[in-house]
Amino acid sequence: MRTWRPFRFKSIHTSIAIAFSSLIVAMTVLLTYNSFRLSEEAVTDNAKTYAEQLVDQVNTNIQTYLDNMVSISTLAMSNGELEKAALPGAAFAPEGRDANEKIGRFFRSVVRSREDIATILFAGENGNIVSDRETVTYKPAEDLQSQDWYRSALEAKGKVVISSSHVEHLFHGEYKWVISISRQLGEPGKRGNGVLMVDLNLNVINNLCRQLELGRRGYVFILDPAGDLIYHPQQQLLYSRLKSESIATLLETKDSSIPLGENGERKIYTIRTNDYGWKVIGVTYPDELVGNKREIRETSILAGIVFLAVALSISVFLSFKLTKPIKRLESLMKKVEKGDFDIRVEVESADEIGKLSRSFNLMIGKIKDLMSQIVEEQEMKRISELKAMQAQIHPHFLYNTLDSIIWMAEMGKMADVVKMTGALAKLFRSSISKGDELVPIEIELEHIRNYLTIQKIRYKNKFTYDIDVDSGILQCKTLKIVLQPLVENAIYHGLKQQAVLGHIAVTGRWEGGTIVLEVSDDGVGMNEDQVRALTERWHRNEEGRGVGLQNVNQRLRLYFGEAFGLEIVSEPEEGTTVTLRIPDIR
Amino acid sequence: MRKIVIGAVAVAFVAAALLAYPVIFRPWPDNDKPIVFVPKTVDGRVDFWQVLGQGVYLAGKEFGEQVQTVGAFAEKDVDGQIALLEKLIGERPKAIVLAASDYNLTVPVAEKIRDSGIPLITVDSGLNGGISASFIGTDNYKAGRQAGEAMANIVDKEAEIAVISVVKGSRTSMERESGVRDRLEELGMSGVLDQPYFSESSEEKSYEITLRLLNERPDLKGIVCLNEPTTVGAAKAVMEASASGRVKMVGFDSSTAEIAFLEEGVIQAIVVQKPFNMGYLAVRAAVNVIHGKAVEPSTDTGSELITKENMYTKENQKLLFPFDGR
Repeated sequence: MRTWRPFRFKSIHTSIAIAFSSLIVAMTVLLTYNSFRLSEEAVTDNAKTYAEQLVDQVNTNIQTYLDNMVSISTLAMSNGELEKAALPGAAFAPEGRDANEKIGRFFRSVVRSREDIATILFAGENGNIVSDRETVTYKPAEDLQSQDWYRSALEAKGKVVISSSHVEHLFHGEYKWVISISRQLGEPGKRGNGVLMVDLNLNVINNLCRQLELGRRGYVFILDPAGDLIYHPQQQLLYSRLKSESIATLLETKDSSIPLGENGERKIYTIRTNDYGWKVIGVTYPDELVGNKREIRETSILAGIVFLAVALSISVFLSFKLTKPIKRLESLMKKVEKGDFDIRVEVESADEIGKLSRSFNLMIGKIKDLMSQIVEEQEMKRISELKAMQAQIHPHFLYNTLDSIIWMAEMGKMADVVKMTGALAKLFRSSISKGDELVPIEIELEHIRNYLTIQKIRYKNKFTYDIDVDSGILQCKTLKIVLQPLVENAIYHGLKQQAVLGHIAVTGRWEGGTIVLEVSDDGVGMNEDQVRALTERWHRNEEGRGVGLQNVNQRLRLYFGEAFGLEIVSEPEEGTTVTLRIPDIR
Repeated sequence: MRKIVIGAVAVAFVAAALLAYPVIFRPWPDNDKPIVFVPKTVDGRVDFWQVLGQGVYLAGKEFGEQVQTVGAFAEKDVDGQIALLEKLIGERPKAIVLAASDYNLTVPVAEKIRDSGIPLITVDSGLNGGISASFIGTDNYKAGRQAGEAMANIVDKEAEIAVISVVKGSRTSMERESGVRDRLEELGMSGVLDQPYFSESSEEKSYEITLRLLNERPDLKGIVCLNEPTTVGAAKAVMEASASGRVKMVGFDSSTAEIAFLEEGVIQAIVVQKPFNMGYLAVRAAVNVIHGKAVEPSTDTGSELITKENMYTKENQKLLFPFDGR
């Protein structure tokens, strides 16, 4: 049954590459995400800390300004001259005028030495007004006494009163934005009472707030304890109700950073309160941090991608490098499958692959040895067979010849016995000589002549013979004792039973690259069936007629291959021709 | 095999580069282009435009847009403004916030701006035919009615009242005047002089007109002036003629001189516009148009009636005294 296995790949190379890559991707994603998270937190924290520091700084500065104003008012009041100027009728009495003069000089010296102070003014209940200005038209005393700074100072009974930001309108035609600190001198209804006022230029505070950079869109604003806006860059929008701030919430909030939503847009409010109850509030837009975050995210992702690309390349390279020897082994194995055993793997390393290569080499060597051993054994077997076959001829022939010699000796044909025995001796010598399997055709013909000499004597007046071989092929090699069985066959089966004188012709020629030797007789011959039966018997290895031919045929084919061997052409009463084909070997 | 490895590495790097490209070369289109504010005048002495400009810049900061101000020096330089606008079209700003110097003459160039696809917002002074995506300004007719009502409240029903307008044919003055007259009529004021007077936006002219009126019309009880120089000129005449007891004045717009007259009781009330809000809302509208959001075709930024009694409330202080350093 086939089951689907998603993590099974066709090659180790792919498996390794994918394993590496998965690991790398996972690690990269994890690291990138983590570094993004950390940077994000760092950015948020930094922004928060930065906002807090800025707001702290503004708060401290404003505190300092207000402290200075309070000190100035304290200094002016401890002077003693103010009481004189506040006495009823002081404006017209010489003492009062003298006091006015002194006070005016003191006020002037303070205002001139300090840019942040706009005005110092004392308004007595008696209608006497003294300020840092020498030539100026005051608004009527009743007007001044009806203004907020004056009235709230009276209500506060000697405590310092700090106004919200407002337009100073003490002098004719002069309108300045200020913050007023006012303080009552003496007690209302008693002699020598009035209110001292010190005005702080609002632009000192405005500049302080305006110059702050709380991100691109952030801003700072200041609330007084009553919730009035001392400074806000969008004051007019707030008054027109085009915008709003959650002032009530902010007033109740202690120093901290809080997020407040407005029309779905969240802002972070960083609040600091000074000793006078003013709240300095820094507003930052988290959206801007989001912009930063996006930058961080993009940078992280970029770094991640680059890292990933490099790592993936390395993993592909490594997996390739690791599997390369295995692949080489695989391709060599394929060659071996096709039968090439002359292969050796170069052992490059001592690792598992190296060991495998070494084993592979050993294995191939062993297989090669075994193969050659088999080939050798086959060869030996073939040779021994050949030898056996050659050996088969001799006793057969020897028996017949010796039979003839005996017969001739009995008949007393001594000359023939000598001739025959000589020929037999030559015959044996030639066949024993050197033990070479291949002999020149010339030698083989010599052998035939000796043989025919013997047979001629045995079968006197039975046949004649002639040998006609092209002299060009005489030096060509043939297996030895191949012609003799053919001649023997022609004599025994072709001519022996025939009453008339027969003839044996041995011819030899060169024909289309092969050498053709023919032994023909004009004896009884065979019909087609007999020829077929004969050739079939060769294949069945049966004893009987043609054992000699079969032997020759087998030897030829064993030695020269299937393309060579014997061929029989025969016609009853006409004769038989046996053709022998061997390759042209010189 | 080697080729495949090299190929894989190359593909990986190309992929990385492609992915990295938009991060490194962030192709945010036109983010560096500003919103251009074209006031009627860039003269730093004219408070109205300075305050309007503050509103414009504040909005720019809040919405994270760059704002650039270009304009003619003289308010009357209509051709100068048109030429500037022609040049601006070529620079393809994100949006143009325009205070048209002329209700009619500026129309063709405004049409060009609209046709070139640049969002156009008009502020304070609109254009004939309402070409801009949105108009942000004072509803002058309403403001006129406020002035008329203020006058009706301080004089008798039969009191003789003169209205000193600014420029004959000027849309702003026409709207204000009809507002004043309509409201006075509605409230049953019978003594309104039908004769129109035009100060040509000149303090001297207004001063002369007023002096003449005071001489020629001993029963004159009220004067309504329809812009700042007209108001100041008239108030000077009334003060010089020591006529502040008999003649009540309602003026338009604010200046230090006007405020002083208000405090001294020469002028009883002034109608002030809200230039800061105009500037702010105009840029907000421009930003909305840029982001494809719907905007109101016209927005009335409103006007406030200021009297000696309410001039130092925290809201009105900010309107009357927009700057902290003066």
